[in-house]
Amino acid sequence: MFIPDTKLKTLSAATLMAAGCFAAAPAMAEDFYAGKTIEMVVPFGEGGATYVAAKFLEPFLEQHLPGNPQVNVRTRPGGGSILGANWFQQNAEPNGETILFTTSSTSNPYVLGMDAVEYDLAAMRPAYSLPFGAVVYVSPSTGIESSADLHSSDMPLIYGGIAAAASDLPVLLSFELLELDLRAVLGFDGRGPARLAFERGETNIDFQFTPAYMSQVVDMVEAGTAVPIMTGGSVGDDGVLSARDPAFPDYPSVYEVYEELHGEPPSGVEWDAFQAIGATTFNFGLTAYLPEGTPDEVLEIFEEAITSINADPEYQDKSQEAIGGYDLLPASVVTDSLSESLQPSDEVRDYLRNLLAEKYDVQL
Amino acid sequence: MLENIGSALDLLFQPARLLALFIGMLAGMVFGMLPGLGGVAAVSILLPFIYLMDGYSGLAMLLGAISVIYTADTITSVLLGAPGSPASAPTAIEGHALAKQGKASLALGVGFLASMVGGLFGALILSVAIPIAGPLVLALGTPELFMFALVGLCFAASMVGKDLALGLAAACFGILLGVIGAAPAAANYRFIFGQSYLMDGLSLPIVALGLFAVAELISMVASGGGIAGQPMALGKWGESFREFWRHRWLICRSSIIGIFGGFVPAVGASASTWIAYGHAMSSTKDKRNFGKGEIRGVASAEGANNATIISDLVPTMLFSVPGGPAAAIFLGALFSFGFYPGPRMVSESPDLMYMIVWSVALASVMGAAICFAVTPYIARLTRVNFALIAAPLLLIMVAGAYQGTQTFGDILALLALGILGWLMKNAGIPRAPVLVGFVLATPMEQYFWLTTQIHGYSWLTRPGVLIIASLIVIPLMLNAVRWLRQRRSVANDPKQQAEAAAASTEPPSHDSSVVLITALVMVAAFGYALVEMLGFRPNARLMPSLGIVPGLLLSLYVLGRQLIRIRHKGNMTNLASRQELPVLGGIVSYGLAIWVIGFNLATPLLLVWLLVGCARMRWGSALLYGLAVYVIAQGMFSMMRLTPPTGALIDLPMPW
Repeated sequence: MFIPDTKLKTLSAATLMAAGCFAAAPAMAEDFYAGKTIEMVVPFGEGGATYVAAKFLEPFLEQHLPGNPQVNVRTRPGGGSILGANWFQQNAEPNGETILFTTSSTSNPYVLGMDAVEYDLAAMRPAYSLPFGAVVYVSPSTGIESSADLHSSDMPLIYGGIAAAASDLPVLLSFELLELDLRAVLGFDGRGPARLAFERGETNIDFQFTPAYMSQVVDMVEAGTAVPIMTGGSVGDDGVLSARDPAFPDYPSVYEVYEELHGEPPSGVEWDAFQAIGATTFNFGLTAYLPEGTPDEVLEIFEEAITSINADPEYQDKSQEAIGGYDLLPASVVTDSLSESLQPSDEVRDYLRNLLAEKYDVQL
Repeated sequence: MLENIGSALDLLFQPARLLALFIGMLAGMVFGMLPGLGGVAAVSILLPFIYLMDGYSGLAMLLGAISVIYTADTITSVLLGAPGSPASAPTAIEGHALAKQGKASLALGVGFLASMVGGLFGALILSVAIPIAGPLVLALGTPELFMFALVGLCFAASMVGKDLALGLAAACFGILLGVIGAAPAAANYRFIFGQSYLMDGLSLPIVALGLFAVAELISMVASGGGIAGQPMALGKWGESFREFWRHRWLICRSSIIGIFGGFVPAVGASASTWIAYGHAMSSTKDKRNFGKGEIRGVASAEGANNATIISDLVPTMLFSVPGGPAAAIFLGALFSFGFYPGPRMVSESPDLMYMIVWSVALASVMGAAICFAVTPYIARLTRVNFALIAAPLLLIMVAGAYQGTQTFGDILALLALGILGWLMKNAGIPRAPVLVGFVLATPMEQYFWLTTQIHGYSWLTRPGVLIIASLIVIPLMLNAVRWLRQRRSVANDPKQQAEAAAASTEPPSHDSSVVLITALVMVAAFGYALVEMLGFRPNARLMPSLGIVPGLLLSLYVLGRQLIRIRHKGNMTNLASRQELPVLGGIVSYGLAIWVIGFNLATPLLLVWLLVGCARMRWGSALLYGLAVYVIAQGMFSMMRLTPPTGALIDLPMPW
């Protein structure tokens, strides 16, 4: 259970302060944030998954950033996160006091080059990421028991989603990569209503992000009403989504499923597209961006704070339930791989735009 | 289970938690009373504060606010005639009509008591239904959700009043407003004029504020007196208790309708309130008073909307699919406190479940009691020169609207809709159908396409669909039979015939130019929309066309009819409408001033104009009062952690 314990917080803050006095080491970083306030801009409404994750991280950042700044989560919803990100681009100063905390809802329009986008995400500096894995599962009525059966369903596969160019994109791309024959019914309000349609038997293949999967789908799997198939995977040492999702070590990644079905690792533009969009959606699911031109010093401060948050037993204890138990990824891990995903080759961009235009009738 | 009910009560009855519940209730009451600001505003303002408390206290605070919103908004709806929240539009129509007849206390008392019953029903449902409601919610598939939205729209259409053409044109206009933004079934943005502000569509609070509150505000400032033309007599509460008891079964039935509304995500309160209202209508023999102050309309709407907002929590806690926007924020709070809604939560934390039930029940009863207590004081406010109240009210509305996306678009949308609301009000076009069309357009379209994509046409024979459809068809048939019978009896009775003829030739007292301009605006809007619509993809075109095509024809008819009237009877000038023009101009200038010189500089100018110019206050007292209002407005902005809108040209920084 996550109940902010203010007393504990002040106590540990006091200890840290005391420790700071005694150590009196590199003074610059030590009190960089003393007396400052960090505004964490969430371009979605209150109560959404991003807001909840931001509120979850807030006390840990306050505690582990040097000088114990006050962190305020501020929502700026609208335009499917584009308004908030545009605001950030125009208003945020590169002084480490304003952070944009957002998801692939912001990066997908950027990658696809939508007109409304006024922000340059690739020029911003990622401070840290929180992976946001996802599991694809099917209804037992399809007769599919594992990823090997994906092509031999007893009935037509129906998938319920929100919109092709939004958070459904990576999963739809994985279906393209695996050449799954399915019908995508788009227009649901959110992943929750889509899951309800699955439970009612109106659709028979669905995916959920880790927190919702843990709280809703695990029970269905136990009851035998849902069969887990695969996860989006996570970025391995080779810099692509080849490894298993650390939250679900028992389920294969899309990469592995392709390998299993075709006998060779995935390649080609279909894979590159899935890799680019999948990495920003899953592995760098929730990313904190600092404005372009933020000095290295601030990045180094965050690097250290993230390492110490990951080592904090309280974080390890609580993150399991709240966010799926993922470690935060520091900038040193995020920057290169994310930057590559945000700037795919023209071939991948054309493929994405064509696929969306022809199969899903999306004009960008 | 029984011991859980007891231990949950222990959990709640701790001073800190009771205090949190009470603070939540107060916030809920204030926001319920402020026109246009409903549960979402109250809950999102409280949200940052709950993180300072323990989980149970924080949740109790939110529940306190959620449970009393629809009780407190009865006050605004009845006294101002502007719905405190969108789902109270029927209360605003019937209750305000009653208030004008000097029966405010009757409308208010019945409204409070019905809200309380609705809340208690909701609490009861939460306690018994959560363990068993799962299959019921799952039985409502996309086809049933579509039917529910359709039924809501049909019942709202029954509310259009005498002039069918105007009412239907208004509903069509609401649909047109509702389809702005992303189309659910095709990748099309509709009517957004290249503005990313419009990509998500117009927000409900802004539409409700603009259409109702701005227009009411203008006419009240212009009339110069208090809200009520003469001192509003509240009357005695006794009659309201008697009337409440007389209509107890109607209220219970409405509450049950409301509960079902809560099970249906997204369609929720607006649809169920209108369905309950329609039910009240069809179960009343003498329908003449509907629209002119029928207490049964108030009773049914208030019973339903409070039950809905609470049973919204059922899908929220069972499936983590929120039933409404306030429930969505509550869901976020549950996550933050480490409660993960789902079937497991019911069995794993029964204490939490019953704590929620107790909070809702307690807040419903206390909320009604407090409403009874504060109403006399609020009624006194209605005798104060309205320009004095208008100043803080307008600032609150601006702050509430600006909370949406914190861009100037919010203020522009509020102003544009305000002008539209004023035009419609003065042209005699009912605004409630606009609101209902607006609210239900999106879920109807969404569920229609989902339904046909998933089920083809087989959904038409689903038992749930047929049952819900019977809700439309049966009252329609009953009405037809009754109408035929009446016609036969009227035909035989010359006296009644003469009365009917007299009623139908009642001269319209609306200003000809205003009617003409409004009709022209509507024709232009529908005409433009028709042209742009032709470029949409087929899946994005159906729903707009349902609003635009009949809307264009109806508004052309209204325009033609008006031109003929002018030729035959000459120009009709309505002095009241003309007197309101300077006030309308003042408010539009305020909007422009915010754009050019920012909120911080424009607001003092507005205060001077309202207090000295309109209310004729002396400079000394005006300065004092204006300063207080200004400080409170700035306080609201900082409480909501917003920076007031800055000017395009200059911007006055604030010392905080």
